[in-house]
Amino acid sequence: MRRMRHPRLVSGIAIGVLITLLFLVPILYVIMIAFESPSHFLVSPMTPGSPQTSNFSAAWNGADLGVQLLNTVLYSVVAAALSVVLGLLIAFPVARRLVRGHSAVYTFLFIGVFLPLSIIPLYAEARVLGLYNSRIGYIILHVEPGLPLAVLLLTAAIYAVPVELDEAAWMEGASYLDYLMRVVVPLIRPALLIAFLYGLLGVWNDIIGPVVLLADPSLFPVTRGIYNFFGSNESQWTLLAAAIVIASLPVAALFAASQRQINRASLVGAVKG
Amino acid sequence: MTALRPGSRRTAVTPAGAAGARAGRRRNRAAPARLLSRPSRVVMWGGLLLGLAVYVLFGIVPMVGNLVISFTDYTGLPGQVVHNLGFANYSSMLSTEAPGFRQGIVASLVFVVAVTIGQNALALLFAHRLIGSGRLAALGRLLVFLPIALGVTIVGLIWILVFDPQQGPMASLFGAFGMHPGFFGADNWAMPLVIFVQIWQNAGFSTLVFIGGLRAIDPALYEAAAMDGIGGWQRLRRITFPLLAPSVTVAVLLAVVGAFTTYNLIYVLTDGQYGTQTLGILSFNAAFGSFQANLGYGAAVSVVLFVMTLIVALPLMALLRRRERRLLG
Repeated sequence: MRRMRHPRLVSGIAIGVLITLLFLVPILYVIMIAFESPSHFLVSPMTPGSPQTSNFSAAWNGADLGVQLLNTVLYSVVAAALSVVLGLLIAFPVARRLVRGHSAVYTFLFIGVFLPLSIIPLYAEARVLGLYNSRIGYIILHVEPGLPLAVLLLTAAIYAVPVELDEAAWMEGASYLDYLMRVVVPLIRPALLIAFLYGLLGVWNDIIGPVVLLADPSLFPVTRGIYNFFGSNESQWTLLAAAIVIASLPVAALFAASQRQINRASLVGAVKG
Repeated sequence: MTALRPGSRRTAVTPAGAAGARAGRRRNRAAPARLLSRPSRVVMWGGLLLGLAVYVLFGIVPMVGNLVISFTDYTGLPGQVVHNLGFANYSSMLSTEAPGFRQGIVASLVFVVAVTIGQNALALLFAHRLIGSGRLAALGRLLVFLPIALGVTIVGLIWILVFDPQQGPMASLFGAFGMHPGFFGADNWAMPLVIFVQIWQNAGFSTLVFIGGLRAIDPALYEAAAMDGIGGWQRLRRITFPLLAPSVTVAVLLAVVGAFTTYNLIYVLTDGQYGTQTLGILSFNAAFGSFQANLGYGAAVSVVLFVMTLIVALPLMALLRRRERRLLG
């Protein structure tokens, strides 16, 4: 045992240092730059100067970050919520075998997990259906990507809800939606949250969608807004770093709030495997 | 419990105890749909069909539409008369005037192989250290997962800043050794750096998959091994690795499919320039890049990409499944 402990400690420290260098230092560096004056950064980009906040106000005023942050929250929350609601409406009858062909429906949705995002036909569809360059259209186009996984996660969660609850409630005359909302939803909340976070992340991650499906800058989510801001303010790194920090705030807040769900999400891997 | 709705053809209510016993015999037994009132059944069907309609309209139709568009000269411009080109888009991929396609295949393969190996090796290294319940392990999990939360755009811009060839910190570091590489703007550097950032972005996801797999291993096995005096490398080789096989399957397949199909990050980092034009970004640039608007050709490239992903992923899946069976017995 003695012999074991020493190399374990060394490898532990090595991985700790590796993770810090790889994952913490670059992010801290960007935050540091965001608080620096441009002149100090030009002279010495590696060391912190006296911190000041003028970059943040300049970035806030220079890019339309306020509107774009709101757009991002609107798009991602509404689209992810719709994915989860529709996912539940598909998952329950499928999991409970209430409809004929339930296993075919399940397989049909399972394929969707592996479908690549085909942006070219989506663009054509958006043009034809009048969903191009519109807030509602953008949201509608972003519901589907989260749907297949939501169905798979929710079906698995519904299996764990005792069938006796269905029978009891329905014989009492409870309506379908009432039963889903009051009994099923509270019981499968963790799966709902993971599906919701997954959908949220999908919308937030998309940079191709905002480039292809939106034209009006006031409709841009913050990802495209900040990407364009980079193009028009090349090499003004202190300003751009401040914009990066501002754009990351909502997702950082969400991330901190959902730590427990992310840890729980690691159990999904175990189920899938 | 005993109140029967009118219209129900059931004459007797199954006692809860008998129902429970039956549930034990047949898994996933369902309450019969006829227990639901007629309006409720309508709502149930309506919800199911609405969800499926969204899935078909924005998931299946685009997939089929992609194939259809790939046989046309569609440009996406309003008022265009679209022509059927047959296989012209496909044959022009192979012509010498479009060298981008062959380079795209090579770039895609290099990208996929390097990312899959790097991402999973790093994730395995992290996972067995970050599995614990301690505060440091939790902090480590948070850090490794952070790039996924930050998202492709923010991650890409962070690394563009860090590797800025004029003022970035890496330029200073290399400058101290008398080197002045162009990083994302140089042919020899762009591809390795794009691979690095893709791994950085997604390692946390693979780490979560492996942590899930490690947690599923029965601790009693480790205790038994410890009693037999088996530890360290032997323990890793004989217990951890075989039992982790299902997680390896999931993590490897997700990395392969992800690396083949995503080009969000490449779009942000290099837009496919300097030798980083994989098939995904090639398809995008043909369709939406400056002055091209060749949606038909772009769709054809993405069809090829899809087929190529299947050609690699399906045998790989069979292989990994067989490996699972061999290792787990």
